[in-house]
Amino acid sequence: MMLANLFFMLIGASGPTGATGDTRAATPSLLAIRVGKAETIAKGTLENAVILVEGGKIVAIGEDLPIERGIPILDRPAWVVMPGLVHAYSRLGCDSEGGEDMSPEVRAFAEVYPKAEEFEKVVEYGVTTLGLYPAGNGIPGQACAIRPLGATREEMLLADGCYLKIIVRATASSKKLLKDGFKKADEYAEKEKKAREKFDKDQKGAKKPEEKKEEKKEEPKSAEAPPSFSVPQDEPPAAAQDSKPDEKKDEKKPDGYVPPEPEAKVKPFVDMRAGKLRALVSIGSAAEYLHFLDALGKETISWDLRVPIQRESDLFYVIDKATYELEVDGIGEKKCRVVLEPVLSVVPGTMRNRNLPAELSRAGAKLVFVPRNDTLPDVKVWLMNVAELVANGLDRATALRAVTLEPASLLGVEARVGSLEKGKDANLLFYSGDPLEATSKLEAVMLDGRIVHGEVNP
Amino acid sequence: MIQRNLLMRSFLALCALGLSTLPARAWQESGGDEKKDEGADAKKKDEPERWFVVKNAEVHTGTGLVLRDAMVLAKNGKIEEIGHELDVPPDAKVLDAQGLRVYPGLVAISSAGLLGFSTSDFGDTLNPFNSNMILGLATGITTTGTGGAAVKLKRFSIKDAVVREKIYALFSYSSRNPSGRRTLREKFVSTAAWLREFREWEELVKKDKELKEPAKKNVDTSVLAVLKGEQVAKFNANDRDDLFAIARLAQEFGFRPVIEGCREGWTVADELGRAGASAILTPRDRRPKDELLSREGGSSIENAAILHRSGVAIAVVPGTESVDLGGIVGRDIMHLPIEADFAVRGGLPEEAALASITSVPARLMGIQHRVGTLEIGKDCDLIVTDGDLLHYETFVQWAVVDGKVVYDKQKELYFAHIRPRADAPVERKLDKGETEPKPEGDAPKEGEEEKPKDGEKPKDGEDKQGGDDEKKGGDGEKKGG
Repeated sequence: MMLANLFFMLIGASGPTGATGDTRAATPSLLAIRVGKAETIAKGTLENAVILVEGGKIVAIGEDLPIERGIPILDRPAWVVMPGLVHAYSRLGCDSEGGEDMSPEVRAFAEVYPKAEEFEKVVEYGVTTLGLYPAGNGIPGQACAIRPLGATREEMLLADGCYLKIIVRATASSKKLLKDGFKKADEYAEKEKKAREKFDKDQKGAKKPEEKKEEKKEEPKSAEAPPSFSVPQDEPPAAAQDSKPDEKKDEKKPDGYVPPEPEAKVKPFVDMRAGKLRALVSIGSAAEYLHFLDALGKETISWDLRVPIQRESDLFYVIDKATYELEVDGIGEKKCRVVLEPVLSVVPGTMRNRNLPAELSRAGAKLVFVPRNDTLPDVKVWLMNVAELVANGLDRATALRAVTLEPASLLGVEARVGSLEKGKDANLLFYSGDPLEATSKLEAVMLDGRIVHGEVNP
Repeated sequence: MIQRNLLMRSFLALCALGLSTLPARAWQESGGDEKKDEGADAKKKDEPERWFVVKNAEVHTGTGLVLRDAMVLAKNGKIEEIGHELDVPPDAKVLDAQGLRVYPGLVAISSAGLLGFSTSDFGDTLNPFNSNMILGLATGITTTGTGGAAVKLKRFSIKDAVVREKIYALFSYSSRNPSGRRTLREKFVSTAAWLREFREWEELVKKDKELKEPAKKNVDTSVLAVLKGEQVAKFNANDRDDLFAIARLAQEFGFRPVIEGCREGWTVADELGRAGASAILTPRDRRPKDELLSREGGSSIENAAILHRSGVAIAVVPGTESVDLGGIVGRDIMHLPIEADFAVRGGLPEEAALASITSVPARLMGIQHRVGTLEIGKDCDLIVTDGDLLHYETFVQWAVVDGKVVYDKQKELYFAHIRPRADAPVERKLDKGETEPKPEGDAPKEGEEEKPKDGEKPKDGEDKQGGDDEKKGGDGEKKGG
């Protein structure tokens, strides 16, 4: 992907000639931006900020930086700049039906259609990174991160296999699904252990003559699979199109041992145990949080939570361990991310407001906001809804982080997007004032150094 | 024929023996459990001991004992000691029940909705945060039978809440369905015959190892579970004829039936008592007498009292099993003690009325070694009331499950405002993260920072916490899980 980007940079500032590319004025490839304020997310708010953008990347950012003569300047002292919004949990532009109960190998990337109208629209509303998850119940599959503009799917892709979506309900069948996944991973681990033993045994037998050992080392590399054990060949296409075989070869241990490939449905669970894949666990209530932990048992995988916040959500029971003397750690103690809507809820049975996101954040959880509904009108008013929570006690910096850097981390693309830092993609939103102010207007959107929405002339 | 009768009789005697030793066995089992617990304790040695004590209370143990100004001391959720001036470890959680009464936590033999929406697999479906559970505890219920299982109302936790599953074998033995009645009887006959052969074989096979196990022909698993004493035979019957028939069946095959409904039970009380039957009844149930029959019939307010006098164990259940304030108020599960009151109105001794919502249902469900009375070694499930449990004015002030306070009247929304406790006046307190409600039309506009209004101090606490947030927001990417 990096290579692809470099390629565009070489071609010039016109960038990818996507659905929107040709209709808009070309943005110079080197551009200095001077604005009244910049919300960097990573390093607080900068006054009189200067951002130097070159080849789609931020190459310098700071307060009152001197600008070399000859560099075109976009000078807007009244404006405020923040990084492009990251909507990490979306189905926008996707229209497939849900799969079966257990399909962890499915990838949402397979259903990305570059010409979907929604992508163009979300960019207009300031979303420059989208995380798409596969539809379905149970364990529907893995999410991908895309930039919403591009001529082809591959061009749009930022990262694949971002998180595995797992839906846990307070039912015996739902909990069993999760347990079964890990049981299968156990069976694989057993198989892998045996293969390893066999390999070591063969290796020992061959070790005695020094030279022969050298040859043996060569053999597995030339042949697709070492003859000592069989690699399952019946891989479904979903795993076949996976770009990971290359990585696999890199992982090969110096002694030439190649672990057997797990089945496509088992691999995500093996990956989760190995720390290569995070789980995003969708729960609906406090009780389901307990049942999820119960089903997880002693597994030590990394996971985040997705909790749709209802008006009378009872999630407050499990925010921390101490308040209700829980027997397990609360969400705060787990320090996980929580993907939720910016909504005020009420104390059940009353009309008293309760700011659950603020409570979660104070307890130690990391917030990832999503629009109230995964629809275009709600994406449009996303920041206004976030502002309502800030008005009701949520920390402002946390709120801004929850629509940019935190969702980027959830998708594993925080090195590229989500904050205004040197070296990151130049995804910028230009607001006429404070982004959380209802009277502020989103004047322009920059994606990878190109103005893709709004009329801006340096 | 005589021989067969003899055989049958000896078999019955054996069965009766087995049944009579059932409680004892259960007790022994609990002893076994304790041994297991010791093993677990050894493992859990690192975990601190959790002590809890209720003091200065009038303790009604549910075994007929009343101790004034007494204490109940619990260690790790089990009752350690009951008595006066006990040594209490300094780190024990103390509940001062000065002037109040302590009863065993109530056992509802059936209820609906106290555990959430689910009706089965409670270990995997329990919702320990649902509001009906709070209302159940407010009633005093700490254990409930539901969906064939016995589950504790353990709030905030899903661990070890299910005490026993698959308690009942449900049967129908009604005169309105003669063929069904005949089939069930045949099942009992064939299963009992097989069980007899099997027991014989069990003895013989010790000498002759080649001997084959008798073939399981026409053996009904439910009937077998009942005859072996593994499950409780439960019938739903109200008619005198049906009750009579059930009593006969039970006596013939030597099991103790539990009869739900039992409205005309008072007309055949002696038979039911002789059969060792137990009744689950609703004293306020009404049914007319069948005027075509000259014999006694219909419901009676004295039903519970008469059955009790004949030795039938009585468990009381209200007319509606769920928390249902939209229905006939006063007849839902929240009126379990009130329903027992109506049995007292009909002549049931108060002690038996208390037992009908504590120890009897616990015994019927086979969980009497854990709950139902306050005895050393049992679970510390108790309630603290501000008066006689059976009085309509009485409120549950605290409910304790496994030595942990899970309900405090003054801390829940429902009844805190009614005759508030002197030590805990009702106060309007903001929860963490809660904001002052605003009048309509004064909602904050997007993006506007909340400005303190005239004469209103800014909320210091919240500002401070907001500052904490910023620090936390800057934290590195710690992984959850």
